[in-house]
Amino acid sequence: MLSTQIPWLTTIILLPLVAALAIPLIPDNQGKTVRWYALGVGIADLILMVYAVWQNYDLQISTFQLAESYPWIPQLGMNWSVAVDGLSLPLVLLTGFITTLSILAAWNVTKKPRLFFALMLMMYSAQIGVFVAQDMLLFFLMWELELVPVYLLISIWGGQNRRYAATKFILYTAAGSIFILVAAFAMAMYGDVVTFDMATLGIKQYPRAFELLVYAALLIAFGVKLPIFPLHTWLPDAHSEASAPVSMILAGVLLKMAGYGLIRMNIEMLPNAHVSFAPILAILGVVNIVYGALTAFAQTNLKRRLAYSSIAHMGFVLIGIASFTELGIGGAVLQMVSHGLIAASLFFLSGVTYERTHTLIMEKMGGMAQAMPKVFALFTAGAMASLALPGMSGFVGELTIFLGITTSDAYNPMFKVVVTLLAAVGVILTPIYLLSMLRQVFYGNENSGIVIEEYLGDAKPREVFIAACLLLPIIGIGMYPKLATQTYDVKTVAVAAQVRQVLPTVIAQKQRSPLYSTALVAPQLAVPESQVLIASE
Amino acid sequence: MEAIYQYAWLVPVLPLVGAMLVGLGLISFNQVTNRARQLNAVFVVSLLGAAMFLSVALLVSQFQGHAPYIRTLEWAAAGNFHLTMGYTIDHLTALMLVIVTTVAFLVMVYTDGYMAHDPGYVRFYAYLSLFSSSMLGLVVSPNIVQIYIFWELVGMCSYLLVGFWYDRQAAADACQKAFVTNRVGDFGLLLGILGLYWATGSFEFEAIGDRLQILVETGSLSGLLAGLFAILVFLGPVAKSAQFPLHVWLPDAMEGPTPISALIHAATMVAAGVFLIARMYPVFEGIPAAMNVIAFTGAFTAFLGATIAITQNDIKKGLAYSTISQLGYMVMAMGVGAYSAGLFHLMTHAYFKAMLFLGSGSVIHGMEAVVGHDPALAQDMRMMGGLRKFMPITAITFLIGTLAISGIPPFAGFWSKDEILGSAFAANPFLWFVGWATAGITAFYMFRMYFSTFEGKFRGNQSEIRQKLKSAAANTLMSPSPLAPNFGPGAMDTRELAALSDDSHGHGHSEHPHESPRTMTLPLIALAIPSILIGLVGTPYANYFEEFIYPPSETLAEVMEKVAEFDQTEFFIMAGSSVGISLIGITLASLMYLFGKIDPAAIASSIKPLYELSLNKWYFDDIYHRFFVLGSRRLARQVMEVDYRVVDGAVNLTGFFTLISGEGLKYLENGRAQFYALIVFGAVLGLVIVFGVT
Repeated sequence: MLSTQIPWLTTIILLPLVAALAIPLIPDNQGKTVRWYALGVGIADLILMVYAVWQNYDLQISTFQLAESYPWIPQLGMNWSVAVDGLSLPLVLLTGFITTLSILAAWNVTKKPRLFFALMLMMYSAQIGVFVAQDMLLFFLMWELELVPVYLLISIWGGQNRRYAATKFILYTAAGSIFILVAAFAMAMYGDVVTFDMATLGIKQYPRAFELLVYAALLIAFGVKLPIFPLHTWLPDAHSEASAPVSMILAGVLLKMAGYGLIRMNIEMLPNAHVSFAPILAILGVVNIVYGALTAFAQTNLKRRLAYSSIAHMGFVLIGIASFTELGIGGAVLQMVSHGLIAASLFFLSGVTYERTHTLIMEKMGGMAQAMPKVFALFTAGAMASLALPGMSGFVGELTIFLGITTSDAYNPMFKVVVTLLAAVGVILTPIYLLSMLRQVFYGNENSGIVIEEYLGDAKPREVFIAACLLLPIIGIGMYPKLATQTYDVKTVAVAAQVRQVLPTVIAQKQRSPLYSTALVAPQLAVPESQVLIASE
Repeated sequence: MEAIYQYAWLVPVLPLVGAMLVGLGLISFNQVTNRARQLNAVFVVSLLGAAMFLSVALLVSQFQGHAPYIRTLEWAAAGNFHLTMGYTIDHLTALMLVIVTTVAFLVMVYTDGYMAHDPGYVRFYAYLSLFSSSMLGLVVSPNIVQIYIFWELVGMCSYLLVGFWYDRQAAADACQKAFVTNRVGDFGLLLGILGLYWATGSFEFEAIGDRLQILVETGSLSGLLAGLFAILVFLGPVAKSAQFPLHVWLPDAMEGPTPISALIHAATMVAAGVFLIARMYPVFEGIPAAMNVIAFTGAFTAFLGATIAITQNDIKKGLAYSTISQLGYMVMAMGVGAYSAGLFHLMTHAYFKAMLFLGSGSVIHGMEAVVGHDPALAQDMRMMGGLRKFMPITAITFLIGTLAISGIPPFAGFWSKDEILGSAFAANPFLWFVGWATAGITAFYMFRMYFSTFEGKFRGNQSEIRQKLKSAAANTLMSPSPLAPNFGPGAMDTRELAALSDDSHGHGHSEHPHESPRTMTLPLIALAIPSILIGLVGTPYANYFEEFIYPPSETLAEVMEKVAEFDQTEFFIMAGSSVGISLIGITLASLMYLFGKIDPAAIASSIKPLYELSLNKWYFDDIYHRFFVLGSRRLARQVMEVDYRVVDGAVNLTGFFTLISGEGLKYLENGRAQFYALIVFGAVLGLVIVFGVT
């Protein structure tokens, strides 16, 4: 009984932050102690999470669990209110997992190690805070709190162009996040009760125009982060300049904050507006997929290519969110988890490569498989996962999203055909850019121009370990998706049910988009027949 | 008997275990694993052997009339959606299991000899085992999603194996080409699966077929749409079974080591397309338009492959085009409704073509002793000749394979090909004519291959041929195609010079090729037996095969009735005409390449345009390169330009941005970063507090 009284989530959020503030007390300038300290904190927090969930979380319940709420600024109605549900849970675990591994990946940081690890731990806290905050203002605070470490991590430990990239990052995302604040205040102030509690805000009834405006504001904020075309251009710069551990977190966790926000706020709190915006999201998703893939193919820089592939993959999340089906929304969550793992592994491996070659320009590499076969093998596995090879998690995510959009009865068939077809073009384009990346970097004769650091050689056990840690869940989920889906399934079903509930009423109104189907059941489908068949079997 | 069904899942899992353990060993204890070469091989081979015995037991049990067995478990779920995975054992599966495991087993034994000196020996076994596992998983799939999963996995194994020698540029290009081309097919297959699921709400083959039929009959789904879905699904087999227009990857895939050319690119994986058509037969059967598309695609591919094979000088490329052609026969058979004949040919072809490929590997192995490890020399038939003297076992088995593929009775290929041609004639005489003419060409090019490899005088030591081939290879290396981008002025001369001066270097250690070691000849002998005899299970006099393998829509009684209708004169006319044209092809080949009565070069120059067309593979590679490869690159570059100039530029507000980043940061950088972290953080916190107080 004791375990239920412990403020689990608060502890989990605050542990890394407090630990980060204690780093100046550690008497060590070489970074040898501090990295063990940071790793220890990371692992401890991860264990704490897993234990808290194991003991106190019931997977069969779709509502919030482990909830805590303490008044923080009562004048404003702001509470320290945190809780997890099926939507938060997989992403919180993902955060703990990826951040801990990225601390291990940053083992060789020699420049200002204490500050580096302090920032990593701060980021750890902020990310978890984002995923569990149940108060709009707390959410915003956590969202901002995470920007600062990323900014500094890029601008101090980045590559040649780090200041440009870091500034661009902070300008884009800070400008974007202002919209969250505006939306939060608008919703909080509306009506009689002033509150930032998300659940209460979700129940409030807003006028249609107001809801659309708030939705649009949040869409811009999350659109920068996800990123959605045309707000994506900070991402390739940030990725190509950030060091590998930071890229791992950037691609592995940060982008997911936007996907999470879209489901948590745009769908759950503003379902009416979502019905109006969903076709746009689907179109943007398709644009992301095709545009991201084509641009990725044209990149000559390894990390920029991977960055654009992230844009393409996040397009699937948008389509899933827009699908109005359990499959699609569940697929969006799965795609986020899976992309987090896959992108982290690819960025990590590109960092491993960079440490040895000191270049990211693929044309300068070539034939590196001979010198580093292990890196080659791991990179191939990561690329295969990224191109949605079955047996790995990316495939399950994309397949469920495809099934979600094709079986969605909300859209008219023509729209569905176009969206599915164009999204499937991504299925062809993805292997083109990923395999030609492998070909340019690893295949062929050894490139005489490239100098591989002799003392490093092939992947070290630590590096193999990190990559293996990432590949293991990728393959595990791919082999048996229920491992991941059961953590969120009841919740995404509830979300889909909620948004489908408002679908008929909104469609019945005049604002109905021509892209929706006229009746909710696709007319061509002759559902009765197939049901008769099922019954007769 | 029930027990073997309960443990049937072991058939695909055993090789997977082998692959995983060896793979883990390679990653974690590389040197130890690599040192224990044959220990790994024995481990992998014995696991596959166990799978083979289980498969044979399943086939026997099915043949004795055991009911089909299905076992599934829920794999993924979301709300009301449930997707199951598992395995099914029926006649078709049992047959495919035995084909795959036997060929894979023999190829693995053969590999020990062929790859004996390769540093990647253990890795190769791991890949082979992984492939076998995926292929077996494919054939036991109870629903189409599971087929798609393993469909892609065998494609990935093919990618890994084609690119096995990753230091060769040609292999690197080939494996990417194979994967991407196959993805184009998978794109269609995926869309087809989605479309069929949307229409019927099922992933099970028969349920899809039945419901689709009802939907079309009641008019709630337009026939056009149903046809479109079927053709989209068919795109999968088009790519995997190397049918026109997606056949271009298969010849390039010959860059992989020869054992996998035999296993993957002749016997099993490429036949998966035919298997999928068979599995989806309930869907295709009801849609005549789709059946026609399948039949004509197959017929055209059969002809296309055969015409290109005539002029190939690389022994493996020649066999690759022959595989394309034979797969065309199978697909055509499926398209004209000859379900059982198509699968019969799949089986016979698997054995004799695997043997031919392994034979070519044995030839290459022998040639390497003379010319060194250079695929441009060791695989070129112009360097061979007279090998029968040096490697008699290889020669005899190759001859058996050649006779089988040429359709000479009583070898295996005769019975299956004849059955296909008979069904094609009944469906559409034009299709029969194409198949019949192709049979003649097949006999011609196969005997051309046999004669120029094994008969005549050995040419491997003639230095002028060697010189010519080397510089030709250097030329193609320099620019794979006239349309390919140039690599700069320096590359041209050095490569050519290197190729010439390399001559003394490239010399092998022997004047004559030698017969291959026993691990290589034994599989050849073992495969020769089914190549001769297995056709006898499907003779029109006693067609056991057709009684075992028949379309799901037919009952055994119907099949028996059809078999009983056998007309002896008709059989003799059909068989006579196809054997006749084969004999003409063989005679022509012997006149040209054995006795030298007709000069091939003279004929080539007299029909130069046709010769060039065949030599250049109907220009498919060039056209695809120009339109798809260069086109997509250009498009990507243009999109990137837009991204850089328009999107980034506009959203950036360029001027404002440079000001901030330049000036602002110059100031910031001088200070200590820790301090700024505090400032920014403090500002955010302050903001919240200020809001809170007011």
